[in-house]
Amino acid sequence: MRTARLGGLGVADLGFYILCAIAVVLLAIQAISSPADFLQILVFGLADGAIYALIALGYTMVYGIIELINFAHGDVFTLGAYVATTLIGFFAVSEDAFTTLNLVVLLLVFPAVMLIMGGINVTIERIAYRPLRNAPRLAPLITAIGMSFVLEGFMFLWHGPATVHVPNLLPHGPGFEGYLGFDCAVNSNNCVFIGFKDVFVLVAAAILVTLLALFINRSKLGKAMRATAQDRDASQLMGININRTIAATFFIGALLAGAGGMIWGLYFNTVSYNLGFRTGLIAFTSAVFGGIGNIPGAALGGMVIGLVAAFSDGYIGSKWTQVVIFGILIGVLVFRPTGLLGMRVPEK
Amino acid sequence: MVRARGLVVLTLAVFVAFACGGSTGGGSKGTIKIGSDLPVCTVGGQATQNGVKFAIDQKNAAGGVEGFTITFQGFDDCRQAAYSADAGVENVQKMLGDNKFLGMIGPYNSAVAKAEIPISSAQHFTMISPANTNPCLTKDLPDCSYHPQDLRKGNPNNYFRVVTTDDYQGPAMSIYAYNTLKFTKVGVLDDSTVFGVGIANTFETKFKALGGATLRKGYKKDQTSDFRVILGTFKTFGAQAIYVGGTDDQNICVPRAQMKAIGWTVPFLGGDGIETPDCINEAAGNEAGIYATSAGADATQVPSAASAISAFRAAFPGPNDFGGYTMQAYDASNALMAAIGRAIKDNNGNTPSREQVRAEMAKTTGFVGVVGTYDFDANGDTNLKIVSIYLTEQAADPSKTSGVCGSKTAKNVCFVWKTQFDFAKIS
Repeated sequence: MRTARLGGLGVADLGFYILCAIAVVLLAIQAISSPADFLQILVFGLADGAIYALIALGYTMVYGIIELINFAHGDVFTLGAYVATTLIGFFAVSEDAFTTLNLVVLLLVFPAVMLIMGGINVTIERIAYRPLRNAPRLAPLITAIGMSFVLEGFMFLWHGPATVHVPNLLPHGPGFEGYLGFDCAVNSNNCVFIGFKDVFVLVAAAILVTLLALFINRSKLGKAMRATAQDRDASQLMGININRTIAATFFIGALLAGAGGMIWGLYFNTVSYNLGFRTGLIAFTSAVFGGIGNIPGAALGGMVIGLVAAFSDGYIGSKWTQVVIFGILIGVLVFRPTGLLGMRVPEK
Repeated sequence: MVRARGLVVLTLAVFVAFACGGSTGGGSKGTIKIGSDLPVCTVGGQATQNGVKFAIDQKNAAGGVEGFTITFQGFDDCRQAAYSADAGVENVQKMLGDNKFLGMIGPYNSAVAKAEIPISSAQHFTMISPANTNPCLTKDLPDCSYHPQDLRKGNPNNYFRVVTTDDYQGPAMSIYAYNTLKFTKVGVLDDSTVFGVGIANTFETKFKALGGATLRKGYKKDQTSDFRVILGTFKTFGAQAIYVGGTDDQNICVPRAQMKAIGWTVPFLGGDGIETPDCINEAAGNEAGIYATSAGADATQVPSAASAISAFRAAFPGPNDFGGYTMQAYDASNALMAAIGRAIKDNNGNTPSREQVRAEMAKTTGFVGVVGTYDFDANGDTNLKIVSIYLTEQAADPSKTSGVCGSKTAKNVCFVWKTQFDFAKIS
């Protein structure tokens, strides 16, 4: 895969570095003045970032291979949480304590949700994107937005406008949460809370991203995906089944989104039908921030955007968080269109 | 069955009316119609309509109003399973088109009242709401986006309500939090809506005036789903509780669920926007410890209402037939019928005009209802400035609690009446 770096080290890059430096200095000041606050926000931000990373991977993989911004991806993520709730509902799980049944249900439902979402995303690709593969690029973009509304409408009809409760399956409560802090024993307000769930989200995301990286770099299908991303026509000439490879990309993207949706549900225990719209846009920003088409970039971008959102919630005010995040999107597109790690897109 | 009995009474009354043909004697002189405009698709709306129907049935059984039989017709302002101002306006227009309608009970939602008052006031049509709490409907306040005089367009006031307004809800919780619960530091979160910001402001102002300290944060529903950072800021601030200004449709109770996720167990306070089944659903897993206010007296706690409630329960035995505003609707109906009765006398025993009913309603003083004794000021507000405080608790029998219960996951978690504040006596 070739890395296209559009801008050299020019004025724009310099501006980017200066902005980053200012942000780091401001955060450092906060960290010194109130370390407990800072650490607490860091923990929440990392956990959120891990979920954004899982969604961003789906955006970046699809963009990398067919240059489509799959706007329905955020809703695939939400649908994952809805499907997970339904599947979990078949079992008599306990929300009060972590039982063996909970563990079994988790181990069963996780792959089931991922596979179901993979299947749904492949269907979406087959219906809404494949017939338009050779159409102008605007056409599949519009069907993607259409699919997003279809999925949201479906979830609205399914469970209505109110939030949906996802059972609290993961270990929680005393014994599964800890406190860090400098004078935590003296002043409980200075305690930094870390629950099992926070660790779970980070570990689950790390495992999934590692598996993805191994798959892309080591497997035959992964190689086919990389080849298709680089030059679709040449790959086809080499005997790669393009349709199958693109379908596989959608399948894997949705595996991650489905897992992300389920993790989100288990973490926050509430989802609503329109969650995917905003979360999807933030994950897309993460993908652009990391360099669209670049898989490590999407993972890194997700973590950074998660942290930015958390710090903005804490230090600026949550009403401004969206402004900050999309301000970053504009800033990246203007000053550093290739993102942090450089974008990787098909050659023309 | 009871409805059937009511129907029989009505039918008999109509027969009697025809038989007598308006002749002299003890017979009925005719019929007068009273309508209601409520979101009957909701549990609360239906329970409120039951109160109106019960009051009218009772009055007819006791001989009607000054020889007239009252006919009740309930209108539903739901569209697609939610209240709609458009549907409400349509209903009011139907009532205005039939000159037998001399007044109505409703609406239930302030947004519907805002749309209906301009139409009804032009016809001097008496409206008594059993549930509207938005202060802007009756008070000319600078924070309001609309003003009572604009809604009424120069017509005399035709809108009355038997519950008090949101500007007493916030202060009631401040007093309760500071004096009873002994909190001195509270985190205040609003949902950036007119209602949410307004009620949070009234809480904050009063709480600071009492000597407490607050930290204020806001969020927007479509932008925030992770509240933990905000909650963490409140925690570091040392908040002993959180006050939320907002409604469940803005996810105002989702932070309650997330408080558990960060291992923080302080109480969660709010206005009538959180005294709902959906709030209990949103708080899933962490439903206990939610304090909410309601802008009226809890009829189940008023001794004078006990006999009316037991008669009502006998007539409407379903578990959800009785709601938080049923007795308010009962009082509103009786106040309206009393005004109609006086208007009939003013008109020498004949069917009065809508203006006569409105003028008599405006003159209402010392009307003895089951919840309390009502006077109405020139704006149509009641002198009963009572705010009730509820707390979520596990209930043995959800159908017998004073407040609403969860409807999905925690069906046994219900709001239970704790105390009330009477601002007519405080200030």
